[in-house]
Amino acid sequence: MNNKRAKKALPSEMALGLFVAVIFAVLCLVAGDFGSLNNIMSILNHFSYILIASIGMNIIMLTGNIDVSFGGVISVMAILMAFIGKTGAPIYVFMPAAMLCGAILCTFNALLITKLRIPAIVATLATTQIYAGVLPLLVEGSIYDLPASFTWLAFEAKIFKYVPLSVLLALVILAIALLMMKYSRYFKKLYAIGNNVKSARLAGIDVDKTVIVTYAIGGLVLGIAATIIATAGQRVTTTMGAGMEMTFIAAVVVGGTSVTGGSGSILGTALGALLLSIISPALYYLGISDSWSTAVMGAIIIIAVSVGAVKGVRHKAADAEKEEAKA
Amino acid sequence: MKTKKFNFNIALGVLFLVLFLGIGLKAPNFFKPNYLISVMLRNIMELGMIALPVTLITITGGIDLSLGSIATLAGIMGGMVYASTSNGFLAVVCAMLAGLACGWFNSFLVTRLNIPAMVTTLATMYLFQGIARGITQGNSVYAFPAAEWLGNFQVGPIPVQIILYILFAAAFVLLLSRTYYGKYLYAIGLNETASRFSGINTVRCKNIAYIASGLMSAFAGMIMLGRFSSMKYTAGDGMNLKVVTMIVLGGTSINGGVGTMTGTIIATMIIAVLNSGLTVLNIPIDVQTIVQGTVLLISLVAYAVIEKRNTTNGKKDKSPKTVKAA
Repeated sequence: MNNKRAKKALPSEMALGLFVAVIFAVLCLVAGDFGSLNNIMSILNHFSYILIASIGMNIIMLTGNIDVSFGGVISVMAILMAFIGKTGAPIYVFMPAAMLCGAILCTFNALLITKLRIPAIVATLATTQIYAGVLPLLVEGSIYDLPASFTWLAFEAKIFKYVPLSVLLALVILAIALLMMKYSRYFKKLYAIGNNVKSARLAGIDVDKTVIVTYAIGGLVLGIAATIIATAGQRVTTTMGAGMEMTFIAAVVVGGTSVTGGSGSILGTALGALLLSIISPALYYLGISDSWSTAVMGAIIIIAVSVGAVKGVRHKAADAEKEEAKA
Repeated sequence: MKTKKFNFNIALGVLFLVLFLGIGLKAPNFFKPNYLISVMLRNIMELGMIALPVTLITITGGIDLSLGSIATLAGIMGGMVYASTSNGFLAVVCAMLAGLACGWFNSFLVTRLNIPAMVTTLATMYLFQGIARGITQGNSVYAFPAAEWLGNFQVGPIPVQIILYILFAAAFVLLLSRTYYGKYLYAIGLNETASRFSGINTVRCKNIAYIASGLMSAFAGMIMLGRFSSMKYTAGDGMNLKVVTMIVLGGTSINGGVGTMTGTIIATMIIAVLNSGLTVLNIPIDVQTIVQGTVLLISLVAYAVIEKRNTTNGKKDKSPKTVKAA
């Protein structure tokens, strides 16, 4: 009986992958232009930064925490990069600076969460507010007329003349994350903390340190994503990242990572990122106004979380059944 | 225990007085009764009203981050219905129905599907705001008669929303401290499983709190629409943080089980003084955002420290809750 059920159910990653493929195929049939090279490249560009940031969010969420200040941190990093990039500095100068900045800001979040025991959502909501408030004081609205060296990644860095370099960047990070997940002890610690903080601590894991390191890595990775976002044009605004955290959380949750931590996979997140990067163009090609994109995003998260919750309940019920049978 | 809570509120009251007098001495304009009533108090009323039911939710261990979006959506619904039907009564009904539906939806996700309240309301915050954005296509919506009345009518020198707030505040203080329902909420916040086994209908108690929050947010949304006379889908941005700040500053634990309605009310007044005081002192709006965030962080830290000291002095059995936040 149990065996049958296991055979019937597709792995959730495969189901999600199929779902994305079906949506893509339908869109190509309904709107012929959707499959055009330009559109696909633009989707891939979105996909690359959503994927990179979502991987950062994913490792944080595995520990049962969350960081809603990702959007605010992206804005800070974008402005920082624009300051540095304005002087004509190349990408290998301002990208590491952004990564470092991200790591510092996210570590600050982690300190509030671990040392002062403030719930992650509230702590990061508060820091979002602070970051969003500080920026307009430093910069008036936006930094513009940025040199060509700043937008190099978006306009010139293409593989085979078409594929943006950012995609390669994202895939490399994805590969590293997948390998880490399979082989590193660090990832096992994340799952342990997410499943049960107390038993993880008893098993000898330094929970606070691991969580802080996780946030720092999340911030580092976010720096790369912010570089792709900021260098997309010659103007960088103070609200560049506002609200973006929702997309990343959505990608992670849609990918099957539990919001209470302890379960989830990087591969699922990658597929979730792919799904979210086609929403906006999909709405456009279906003739639905972009105004609905926020609602669609919210609805997708709610559906994903609900499905996860219902599955969790069933899982528990099945476990209870098993135990009863044993008794 | 009771005396300690009392002390918290006195400390808050002292903080309020210090800020009030300090700002007043720096900027004498601040003390004009007209300014105090029609700017300081009038501007905080919507947030203050929403903070009342959300305090109930917070005491059960939940939270509502979607309140700003509900307020916006309800206001926009009312405005749009009035614009197309010119029926003032129908507009009010639709606005309140929107609030009811949003609150019910939150409570359904939280109590029936057992999704953590923070995640639920974070997602519905975007959903409700997204719906508001979608149905208006990003355009502004204009006030309808009832909203204008709520936002601008004055009883003598006092704006009507202040009177309403006093009534609501009194009702909620009594509800939390004098009824079984209030006691049940504390019980749920301290230990939900134990309360369920002792015969409390936890699902219904929580549902009532979330739906009350939805309705109150919708009501506040109408006041907001009336006060500004037009509204866009972004009107509710950041409201959730302000309300959470009030509640946490008022001494309600974000982990549930601890808190008073009076604390929330005093904290509302403190935030009112801070907001209008910073404006009087000509401090730019961005600094005010920072101050908001900082006040929230400081109050969270302060209460975390106090709670830690209490638990280490007394029994240590509260640790599972705090550990979970890590």
